[in-house]
Amino acid sequence: MERIVGIDLGTTNSLVAVLEDAGPRVLPDPDTGAVLLPSAVAFLDDGSVVVGERARSLTAERPLDTVLSVKRFMGLGAEHVTAEDRRRYRIVEGREGPVRFAVGGRELTPPEISAYILRELKRWAEAAFGEPVTKAVVTVPAYFNDSQRQATKDAGRLAGLEVLRLVNEPTAASLAYGLDKEAEGVVAVYDLGGGTFDVSSLTLRGGVFEVLATNGDTRLGGDDLDDRVAELVLAALPEPVRARPEVRARARAAAERAKRALSTAEQTEIVLDVPGGPPVRHPLGREEFEALVRDVVERTTAPCRQALRDAGLGTADVREVVAVGGSTRVPLVRRHMEALFGRPPLADIDPDQVVALGAGIQAGILSGGRRDMLLLDVVPLSLGIETMGGVFTRLVDRNTTIPVAVKDTFTTAADNQTSVDIHVLQGERELAPDNRSLARFKIPIAPLPAGVPRLEVTFLVDANGILSVTAADLRTGRERSVEVKPSYGLTDEEIERMLEESIDHAEEDVRRRQVEEARVEADVILHATRESFRNHAGMLEPGEGNRIRASLAALDAARATEDYIAIRDAVDALSRETEPFARRIMDTSLQEALGDRRLEEL
Amino acid sequence: MQAAEARRRQCWRCGAETAGALACPRCAVVQPLAAGTDLFAVLGLPRGLAVDAADLERRWHEASRAVHPDRHQTAGAREQELSLAASAAVNRAYRTLRDPIALGRYWLELHGARLGEDNNQVSPALAAEVFEAQEKLAELRAGAAVGDEVRALRDDLAARLAAMREELVARYAGADASLPDLKRRLSEIAYLTTLLGDVETSLGAA
Repeated sequence: MERIVGIDLGTTNSLVAVLEDAGPRVLPDPDTGAVLLPSAVAFLDDGSVVVGERARSLTAERPLDTVLSVKRFMGLGAEHVTAEDRRRYRIVEGREGPVRFAVGGRELTPPEISAYILRELKRWAEAAFGEPVTKAVVTVPAYFNDSQRQATKDAGRLAGLEVLRLVNEPTAASLAYGLDKEAEGVVAVYDLGGGTFDVSSLTLRGGVFEVLATNGDTRLGGDDLDDRVAELVLAALPEPVRARPEVRARARAAAERAKRALSTAEQTEIVLDVPGGPPVRHPLGREEFEALVRDVVERTTAPCRQALRDAGLGTADVREVVAVGGSTRVPLVRRHMEALFGRPPLADIDPDQVVALGAGIQAGILSGGRRDMLLLDVVPLSLGIETMGGVFTRLVDRNTTIPVAVKDTFTTAADNQTSVDIHVLQGERELAPDNRSLARFKIPIAPLPAGVPRLEVTFLVDANGILSVTAADLRTGRERSVEVKPSYGLTDEEIERMLEESIDHAEEDVRRRQVEEARVEADVILHATRESFRNHAGMLEPGEGNRIRASLAALDAARATEDYIAIRDAVDALSRETEPFARRIMDTSLQEALGDRRLEEL
Repeated sequence: MQAAEARRRQCWRCGAETAGALACPRCAVVQPLAAGTDLFAVLGLPRGLAVDAADLERRWHEASRAVHPDRHQTAGAREQELSLAASAAVNRAYRTLRDPIALGRYWLELHGARLGEDNNQVSPALAAEVFEAQEKLAELRAGAAVGDEVRALRDDLAARLAAMREELVARYAGADASLPDLKRRLSEIAYLTTLLGDVETSLGAA
C-alpha cells in the first residue's frame, strides 16, 4: 500500500516524517541530508522558483521576492495584512478573496506559495522511498480557523498531495510523547512556533488521546521576538536606511541569530551589515533581551489559563507540560512555562521535530498501522451564524469534540422574503462583525409572513476541523444543497486553474532546463571544433572542411532557437562529421607525446 | 418495536447480523444508524437518568474506536460518510449524557416536554431576586462603586449553581425526577446561568 507521510508545514521550518516499525522518523533532503526545510520561497527574475535554505539566503538580496513565514497569511484577505507586512512584501490591493503577493512578475496566493514548500518535501519523501508520494497528513496550529485550515488543504492539493487529515500541532506533539512515554493522565502542550502560539490540554488513557481544550494566538511567535530585537538595531540607523526592505530583512536575520545565541550564552553581539555603509554592532545581554521581549512572552499567559479553565482543570491536575516549537528554547519562555504550570517542561524530543514526528504517527494511524492509538480532537473556535441585529448565534461551541453535527431552526424577520442570507462566522465574540467571516450564501425560500418559514441549518465539522453547511426549507420540504463561497478561500475553479497553470509551469521549467543544457553542449562542441580548425587545419582531408563548416553553421542556427531537440540533433550531426578529424588530431598529439613510436605498438 | 427491528438488521456490506451495532461485528464496516435511535442507544445504554461517568467515557472511547474517521480513512466514500455521521452521533451522545443539565434537557425533549425560552417555571421569589441583581448591574454599568457587591454576587451565584447541579445529579441517581420537577430545576438553572453571564460581562466591562 502507498505510504502516507506526515508533514509539519511550519512558519519558519517545514519537515516530513513517516512511521516505521521502529517508530517515527523525519526524512532528510536527499542532496544535503538536512531535515529542516526553511519555509522560504524565492521568485527569481527568469521565472524560476527557489525553496528552502537557498531561498532564505536570498532574503537580504531580494527581500520583496522572497516570502518567509507565508503561513502567517494563510486564509487571510488583503484587509488583514498589517502595515509592517505591507512594507515587507508587495501586496496586491483591491482584490477580494485571499491576499495576493506580487512576486517574480506573478500574483500568488498563500496556498500557491505554500505548495512550493510542500512539493519540495514531497520530493524528499519520494527520494527516501524511491516511489511516488501522493497522500499526506499535514499539521496546522490548533487555533487555526476554518479559512486557514481550508487554505492548508488547498496548498496540499496544489502540490499534488491529497491531504487525508489536518492534525492540530500540539495534538501531534502529544502523540509523539505519548508513544514515547506510554504516559497516562493530563498533559498540557505549550507550542510556541515561529509565527503561531497554541496551548492544548489533553488526557491520555488507554491509547486514546482526548483533547479537552485548546487556545492560542495565530499571530504570536518567535518572529515577534526577532522583530523586537531587530527594532533595537534599526533604531541606530537614519530613517531612509531603516525603511529599506533589504536592511529590515537583514536586521531580522541578525536578530534571530542573536536570540539563538542567547539561549545558551549570557552575552552576544548583533552585527548588522548595512549595504553601502559601516556595519551596526550592538552588544546584547540576556537580561536586556528578556526585558525587550517579556511582554510578548506574557501574551501566552491568558491562552494557557483559558485552556485549563475550559477543560475544568487547575494547574495541580497537569501531570506533564510539553514544550514544542523552536521558541521554547528561549530560557525566558521555559521559566514562564514553569511559572504557569508549576513544573518544568518536558523537552526530551527535539522541539523542532516533535510535531512532524507526531504527524508521521497520525499518518501511520490512518493507514491502519497503529490500531492501538486514537486521537479525539476538538474545534478550537465557536461556529455560528449572524442573526437579527448583527448578533452571533453559536451552533457549535469551542472545544466540542469533532466530528460534530448540529442542527438549528431559524425563521424570517420580514414578510414575504424570497430568500435568506446566511452569514457563517467563527469566533468567541457576541457580535457578528467582531468574529471572522467564513462564508456567505443565500437560500431561496417560499414567500410567507415573517416568522412563519422554518429554515433548518446544519453545521457539520469533520475530523479536520473543517465546516460544511447545509440548509433546508422545512415548510416546502425542499433540501437545498448550499454553495458556500468562502470569504478568503479559493474556489474549486480557482484551484483547478492554478493546477493547470502549475502543470504548464512545470512543463515550461523542464523545457527551459532542457534548452539550457542543449545550448551548453552546443557551446562545448562549437568551441572545440573552431579551436581544432584554427590549430590543425592542415590535417583536414579534401572536402572535409566544407562539410564541417556546413554542420557548424547548422548548429549555430539551431542554437539560436528554443528547440532543444533541434539543438541536440545538430550537436550530434557536427559530432559525427568531426569524429574522423578529431581522431586524427588525437593520434597525432599522442604520437608527438610518445616520440616516433607508432600508435599500433602500444 | 425498534429493538426488534434492530435485532433483524444486517450489515449493508457483508450481510452479517449486526444486532444494531455501530459497526459490523464481522467486517467492521460502519452501519447507518436506525431512524429514531436515541442518544442512550447510540452508546448501548438503556434510557435512564442515572448515568455512570466512568462507564459512559469507556463506552464513548470504545464506540469511537469502532467508528472514528481515522479508522476508516482507506475505505470507500460511502463508508467514510457513514463513519463521519456515526462519529458525530457518538460524540453528541457523550457530550449530552455526561452533562447533567444537557442530559436533563434531552430527557425533557424525549418526553415531549421541551424547555421553553420563557421562564414561567421560575418562582416569584427567584424572579424578584434576579430583578434586584439586574438593577445592581445597571448601577455598576452607570459607574457606581458597587464592584465588590457584584463580585460577591458572582461568587454566590457560582456556588449556588454548583449546588443545584449536584442536587440534580443526586436526583438522577435516586431516579426521583418527575418531569415538572425537572423542568422547574432546569429553568432555574438556565435563569441563573444567564444572570451569571450578565454579571461576568458587566464586571469585564467595568
